[in-house]
Amino acid sequence: MTHYLRLLRLFVTTELQFALEYRVNFALEILQMLVVAGTSVAAVLILFSYTTVMNGWTLGQMVVLLGVYYMVQGAEELVMQPSFQRFMEHVREGTLDFVLLKPVSSQFMVSFRHFETVQSLQVVLGLVITVVGVAGLASAITLASAVAFAVTLACGFVLIYALLLVLSTLAFWFVRVDNLLAIFWAFIDAGRFPVDIYPGWLRITMSTVIPVGIAVTVPAKAIAGLVDVPSVAGIVVAALIAFTVSRLFWKRGLRAYTGASA
Amino acid sequence: MIAVYRALFRQAFQIMSAYRIALYLYAIFSFIRPIIFLAAWVAVAESQGGRLGAFSTHDLAGYYVITIIVTHLSAAWDFFEFEYEVRQGRLSPKLLRPVHPIHYSITGNIMWKLWTSIAVVPVAVLIAITFDARFTTTPAHLAIGSVSLVLGASLAFVFGWIFASAAFWTTRVHSVVTLYQRAAFIFAGQVAPLSLLPGPLLAIAYALPFGYMLGVPADILRGGPDIPTALLLVGGQIVWLAIGIVLYRIVWSAGLRQYSAVGA
Repeated sequence: MTHYLRLLRLFVTTELQFALEYRVNFALEILQMLVVAGTSVAAVLILFSYTTVMNGWTLGQMVVLLGVYYMVQGAEELVMQPSFQRFMEHVREGTLDFVLLKPVSSQFMVSFRHFETVQSLQVVLGLVITVVGVAGLASAITLASAVAFAVTLACGFVLIYALLLVLSTLAFWFVRVDNLLAIFWAFIDAGRFPVDIYPGWLRITMSTVIPVGIAVTVPAKAIAGLVDVPSVAGIVVAALIAFTVSRLFWKRGLRAYTGASA
Repeated sequence: MIAVYRALFRQAFQIMSAYRIALYLYAIFSFIRPIIFLAAWVAVAESQGGRLGAFSTHDLAGYYVITIIVTHLSAAWDFFEFEYEVRQGRLSPKLLRPVHPIHYSITGNIMWKLWTSIAVVPVAVLIAITFDARFTTTPAHLAIGSVSLVLGASLAFVFGWIFASAAFWTTRVHSVVTLYQRAAFIFAGQVAPLSLLPGPLLAIAYALPFGYMLGVPADILRGGPDIPTALLLVGGQIVWLAIGIVLYRIVWSAGLRQYSAVGA
């Protein structure tokens, strides 16, 4: 385990050194993040200029939700997207052989090898927005709600990770699966609002096949103390099942890999 | 010119036929966001007894259903491709041809929209039924709205090229485009129908070009404004289109002088 943590630190530091070679890009990425998050907050404020509550959500809760949305999206763009993207290139070019030869878990290598380090600031920005939202909540947060928030948020990350691992694993059979990921990108946008405002088909899609909806909505509800213990248990079980299934699928896919010229 | 366009359309058609599935995928982006904001506005309206100013929930649905179609038909994506062409030096051979590069883009753009609208229209119909959309469109609205739609799409296209031309000066078009798209996010009628924007934002929206690309044609086509107002808004579109074309010509010729392909 410590071995893996040491590797992880190594990956992050090399990626950070790489990113800091292009300092203007780094600064521009931050500027873009601030503009994107700022306009999203503005959109919520425009909606709430007409009401104080939207389908049971107050302004404070909506800001929390937006913060969680940027934390989830940031985590996804920080490590999952760059790593899986590179993995798919490896499959296409046959260079995955080199990854498989290394004496570490191959799933670990394809999932956490590459970092878009600047995106860690998107996670921080999401956290800041969340804290601002929490300050605007009517009730103070309790220890229970804070724990529920942390647990459900972690489960949200796991759910998204499992989905992306499954989609990426399909590359073993279909090679070009970038297009499937494009569908994911389109739907992630719907995570900016609580999943319960959407019409049936979209709500179901966002809660099951593309679980961005619950990954964002449940933690935002949890911190406001609106989630009961069975729901937390439910999302924990769902995350465990999703992780196990995706891991089994990954192993199955790995057996289907033949290399570029083998 | 007609013969040139016929050839370019045939070419565009052949390119599209080669990547059929991928083409439809990008159509998803035309309807996801309007649906998101429709759902949000309906939730807000319902908290206020089902009505916001002049909009009932059914009017909001009407606006956003039309917005799906208008978003799709006014899509412009040249900034992404053009930066690549400049950086890779692929622009050079195109410049040597007797046809301005923009014509390839025009035909490709129109062909994609014709091809993929088959996928977008059923979604719009489905959403119209789900949310029980109401349209107060008269034949006059339809006539003016159609003209407005063409003007809006042209305006988005021309501004797309103005920002694409930034590639002559910088390799960071992506950042420039993000700023452009986020301004459009607020002011084009995506986050709210223009008339629902709070006071100062509404004034800014009518002063900027973004609303004339999306919100104005969508509102006219759903039968929102009365006819004199609709005509006034179309006038605004014409003014912005004229400004856009002039700006584009200035930026393009200045950019070309600046352009030096890798290895040239």
